[in-house]
Amino acid sequence: MPRKQLSMLLVESDSWGLKMDVPLRTRFLEMKQNGCESVFPQVILLSLADSDKMKAEYAVDSVITKPLKASTLAACLFQSLGISITQANNEKKHHGPDSLYGLLLGKNILVVDDNKVNLRVAAGTLKKYGAKVECVESGKDALERLQVPHKFDLCLMDIQMPEMDGFEATRQIRAIEAKAHEQRDNADNSDAGSTAKKAQWHLPVLAMTADVIQATHEECTKYGMDGYVSKPFEEKQLFKAVQKFLGPSASS
Amino acid sequence: MDYSNLRRQAASLKKGLFDQGHLDEQFRQVEDLQDEASPNFVEEVVVVFFKDSGRLISNLEQALEKYPRDFNRWDAYMQQLKGSCSSIGASRMKNECMSFRDNCGQRSVEGCMGSLQKLKREHAILRQKLESYFQVTLEAPPCQSWCHDRWIISINLLTDVCMFTMQLLRQVGPAGAATRPAM
Repeated sequence: MPRKQLSMLLVESDSWGLKMDVPLRTRFLEMKQNGCESVFPQVILLSLADSDKMKAEYAVDSVITKPLKASTLAACLFQSLGISITQANNEKKHHGPDSLYGLLLGKNILVVDDNKVNLRVAAGTLKKYGAKVECVESGKDALERLQVPHKFDLCLMDIQMPEMDGFEATRQIRAIEAKAHEQRDNADNSDAGSTAKKAQWHLPVLAMTADVIQATHEECTKYGMDGYVSKPFEEKQLFKAVQKFLGPSASS
Repeated sequence: MDYSNLRRQAASLKKGLFDQGHLDEQFRQVEDLQDEASPNFVEEVVVVFFKDSGRLISNLEQALEKYPRDFNRWDAYMQQLKGSCSSIGASRMKNECMSFRDNCGQRSVEGCMGSLQKLKREHAILRQKLESYFQVTLEAPPCQSWCHDRWIISINLLTDVCMFTMQLLRQVGPAGAATRPAM
């Protein structure tokens, strides 16, 4: 057999112990002591259980528990070979409140845009940060979804849409909310002394604009919008805009 | 299957698209959105894009005939298309969209017609190049070929391991087999 440098040896734990007929382990240790260490393979033990002292006890480099899973074996082999399999996404995932992951993870977001391509990319971007995204293609559909009570934490609204633009849709959303407050307040009037917390229905609505000219701060506030972001999204800008409403200090 | 060759081809096609200005950084952002949960995200978005842009261009051409000098209407169509181009990073197409809109602003029919022809040309080129790119990547998809190569390595390793062990056992020989440490 041609002499090939072996990188790794996987040994089943029963075969490694001193109880077996052939003292494989002894032989190995001998070879190691004889100074063959530079060409010595990494030894990985396959065992039913793993414990901290197992590595030392069995004088092996790593332990993998049985039953053998493909992914576990792969990970261990790559690690031993010094091949890193960092997935690009994992590097970026840090869930602190100072990141978009921290802000958007688990949040329900409604994206409104009549352009299918924009919807896909916007939704994909938000989902990357762990948000749960629903998409609609018109202001009318958005209003249907936003009847009180609804589950959304944030709405991203395209401004330029046929039939009903983003400003008009937002104006109507605020009208729905105002009506809901009114109805609730009327119902609560019988309970004048109640100190129960009254939930304020105010869905944060951010305009999505392709051109900055489209949405000035004044126009946004006039129609009840809470801010705007450019599309396609720019991470830092999105973070700043969203932080006010979804950050830890934002009132729920 | 020589995946490395196909991967090189794919990388070269993609580099060309960026170097020639057909795609910009936004396309890379879109690629970043592809993962195990959405393994075909890029291709899906591109398919939607070409369907959408084809429709918009067709509508615009009809509008140019049906509504002469209706620059506002023409502009509205082009704004939609520009939005799509921005979202996927179709840079050259986006530039032609902006040029068209400028011509609308200057109320130049000739200018608009010229821009539209250029836009259609860029549209066709981008479609053809992206189709070639996806064809190659589907034959040697990055993730699968990575896994495939690594598994080939792993299987080879395991084979070597078995053979090494056998060799070792042969070296130890019958003398070793007879020895049994007292328990």
